[in-house]
Amino acid sequence: MAPTKDTLFRSADMSLTQLYIANEIGREVVSALGELGVMDFRDLNSETTAFQRTFTREIRRLDNVERQLRYFHGQMEKASIPIRSIYDFNNPFTSPSASEIDELADKSQSLENRISSLNESYETLKRREVELTEWRWVLREAGGFFDRARGQTEEIRHSLDNDDAPLLRDVEQHGQGEPAGEQSFSVMNIGFVAGVIPRERIAAFERILWRTLRGNLYMNQSEIPEPIINPENNEEISKNVFIIFAHGKEIIAKIRKISESLGADLYSVDENSELRRDQIREVNTRLSDLASVLRNTKSTLDAELTAISRSLAAWMVIIKKEKGTYETLNKFSYDHQRKTLIAEAWAPTNYLGLIKSTLQDVNDRAGLSVPTIVNQIKTTRTPPTYFKTNRFTLAFQTIIDAYGTIKYREVNPALPTIVTFPFLFAVMFGDFGHGMILFLAALAMIYYERKLQRSKLDELFSMIFYGRYIVFMMGIFSMYTGLVYCDAFSKPIPIFNSMWTWNEGDKGSLGPGASRLDGYTYPFGLDWKWHSTDNDLLFSNSYKMKLSILLGWCHMTFSLMWSLVNARYFHTPIDIWGNFVPGMIFFQSIFGYLSFSIVYKWSVDWAAIGRQPPSLLNMLIYMFLRPGTLEDPEQPLFKGQATIQVILLLLAVICIPILLFLKPFYLRYEHNKARAMGYRGIGENTRVSALDDDDDEGQTLNGGRESFGDDDDGIAMITQDIGHGEEHEEFEFSEIMIHQVIHTIEFCLNCVSHTASYLRLWALSLAHQRLSIVLWDMTMANAFAFTGIGGAIIMVVVFYFWFSLTVFVLCVMEGTSAMLHSLRLHWVEAMSKHFMGDGVPFQPFSFKILLEEDPVE
Amino acid sequence: MGNSWLPFVVLLVVVLFSFGVWFLAPKGENQTVWRSTLILSAVAMYLMWAITFLAQMHPLISPIRYDLRPE
Repeated sequence: MAPTKDTLFRSADMSLTQLYIANEIGREVVSALGELGVMDFRDLNSETTAFQRTFTREIRRLDNVERQLRYFHGQMEKASIPIRSIYDFNNPFTSPSASEIDELADKSQSLENRISSLNESYETLKRREVELTEWRWVLREAGGFFDRARGQTEEIRHSLDNDDAPLLRDVEQHGQGEPAGEQSFSVMNIGFVAGVIPRERIAAFERILWRTLRGNLYMNQSEIPEPIINPENNEEISKNVFIIFAHGKEIIAKIRKISESLGADLYSVDENSELRRDQIREVNTRLSDLASVLRNTKSTLDAELTAISRSLAAWMVIIKKEKGTYETLNKFSYDHQRKTLIAEAWAPTNYLGLIKSTLQDVNDRAGLSVPTIVNQIKTTRTPPTYFKTNRFTLAFQTIIDAYGTIKYREVNPALPTIVTFPFLFAVMFGDFGHGMILFLAALAMIYYERKLQRSKLDELFSMIFYGRYIVFMMGIFSMYTGLVYCDAFSKPIPIFNSMWTWNEGDKGSLGPGASRLDGYTYPFGLDWKWHSTDNDLLFSNSYKMKLSILLGWCHMTFSLMWSLVNARYFHTPIDIWGNFVPGMIFFQSIFGYLSFSIVYKWSVDWAAIGRQPPSLLNMLIYMFLRPGTLEDPEQPLFKGQATIQVILLLLAVICIPILLFLKPFYLRYEHNKARAMGYRGIGENTRVSALDDDDDEGQTLNGGRESFGDDDDGIAMITQDIGHGEEHEEFEFSEIMIHQVIHTIEFCLNCVSHTASYLRLWALSLAHQRLSIVLWDMTMANAFAFTGIGGAIIMVVVFYFWFSLTVFVLCVMEGTSAMLHSLRLHWVEAMSKHFMGDGVPFQPFSFKILLEEDPVE
Repeated sequence: MGNSWLPFVVLLVVVLFSFGVWFLAPKGENQTVWRSTLILSAVAMYLMWAITFLAQMHPLISPIRYDLRPE
């Protein structure tokens, strides 16, 4: 076994392992493996429903505890009590024992009862308080009505009382008068109803009353200035006090019914002002009593919640882990006779030692004599694809995984992507200044990594933060390409002596033409003298176009080479001879030749030999349309050009039928040969099963194995739960042929279209450069025209304007578009050359992942 | 002062650098990442530079100032 160490180049070597765990320590074993987080357990009970599984009861109990914890959390949020952050615990990741879990469950049950009873009484008290408050308002307002009503008919009543109700004081201000000649309303056979009603219903209420009583009523109402708070949902409602006078008992009863049905609360008000004052006094005392009781209840509740808040996060983590453990245990099959749990899991082979020692530890701690047995199983199943990533590689791996899951042990495109993705981005984004902004931003994110990871970020920023190392690489490469393009915020960077000197003009001025320093080529990047010349676009377009073609050719050749590596690794020589070699020859004889011509044309000093350089575009067109002839036969690119082009073209054409037919016919030949020798496809049903028939006494292959432990020679063959698409595929020639035809057409056409696709490098870098020049010219260049104090102020304002536009338009927007284009170049242009990608993702049972997916704050 | 030999010298530097990285990359599980990233970066940066250099080695046009036009 002992494979080479796992790298990012290929997915980790996986083994299907079988665990025999004593029933007593099942929970401890799984929880220890959850801490390790390297085992992907297979569901061995997929045909049983969730309710029939062994540990459903435990999960239900934990669900209940979780619900209680969430309830506490909700109560804390309502009372705005902060929860102690999960990061403040020294070690929240210790796995608790079963008894601790029981304790926790009991504790949370009793706490829930206590909290909910406290809450209930608090709410009851609150409701009582609201009622009393409303009553007080009714008493005050209704009192005002009474007084006003009486004031119209009778003399003004005198009040000796010193009540502090404002309306009554109002009455007092009206002046002196003899004690009221109490002509009661009842004497006049007028009854009344008083209460409060939500303000939005008042119009409907009035209308209904008017219609049902035909106007036989006198209604008075006034708004309560402060909103009433509903204790059930903490909503504020504005209400009105009303008082309705009407004739007769029936009418009054009718009014009562109507108002109650409209959600009004009715309160009794005495028409006698003395009694009313007593009522107010009584209500006031009761309110103040209630307030003190409420305060006490609230503080008890808060104290209780604060106590819980200190450990709530840890409890949540514990319960989540425990639930995960039981959910995993539910995937195990249970051997009733031997009282063991049997589990099957994929694990990286390199971790088997660690797994075994962990299991040994658990065993020792439990003091069990029966060891936990780890068996390796041989299988025809596709193992899951697993890459061990770190902070740096994670984001790059995610880019590739977003396209498709990599086939097990296939070359991982993520490894070269670490460089090529940010580099192709930088070719489009090349500007030293903008690259510096990206670099510094990424550096800041990396520096404050820990802090940012713990804080809640909004969606967009968390996405950028996730890709911080990509941005970091992008920044570095953008600075480099910016230097090569000689652009810093669209300004030139004169590092070396220019290779051009301006010609002396007629009037002693320099230019407009320039002549070259003899034999000297600008050593790094584009010559800065090209900046702001009349024909810099002419030059840089030609340069950037060829740069894109050359880089594209390199990138595609590089990617195509991986298909060779894959074919060699998977021992499929037919893929080398039937796909890789003809494909490579086809690609190189056209586009390799084009790349060669570009470089060759550059390396020849056309002026020195006194010839016109031929156009490469026309050369390529003539190569296809009129093989053997050149556009200008007198002036070839090099000697024998026409002959070489014919040979290359023939090579390319020959490769097409090879690409088309070699692989399918070879496969058919192989298949027929195997058939002729009497071989048939291996059926999975010939295997012996340890899991499907546990009670079968005759079944000893695995039963016997147990005592021997995990010797590698005696590997037990286990039936996979067949019928999951693992069946041996029937050989179907037509299918393979069609597949190969599609592949050939795609490949040949893609060679052309993908090369053209790399021209986006040119287009985007041109657009980026032009945009930054325009931005500079429109803002900063104008600001330099002003001088003095005014100029300084304008400069500052314009600078901010320019800088924010640079960041948001040039860095963020342009950066996003360049990134998407680079992404496409990887997914389509590069990965189509070698990526197989029909892998199964590795989903280990890991507490860490569990908590990341469903974080406890 | 011809300097058209520069691409070859730099190529040599890149090759030496790549060998250096191959042997000096930090050991451990990230060795592959170190090697591949540094070597590929060097190669990509070299390519970009060399292409730019070659494009200017025998230029077919020369810059013309836009602020001065011939009368």
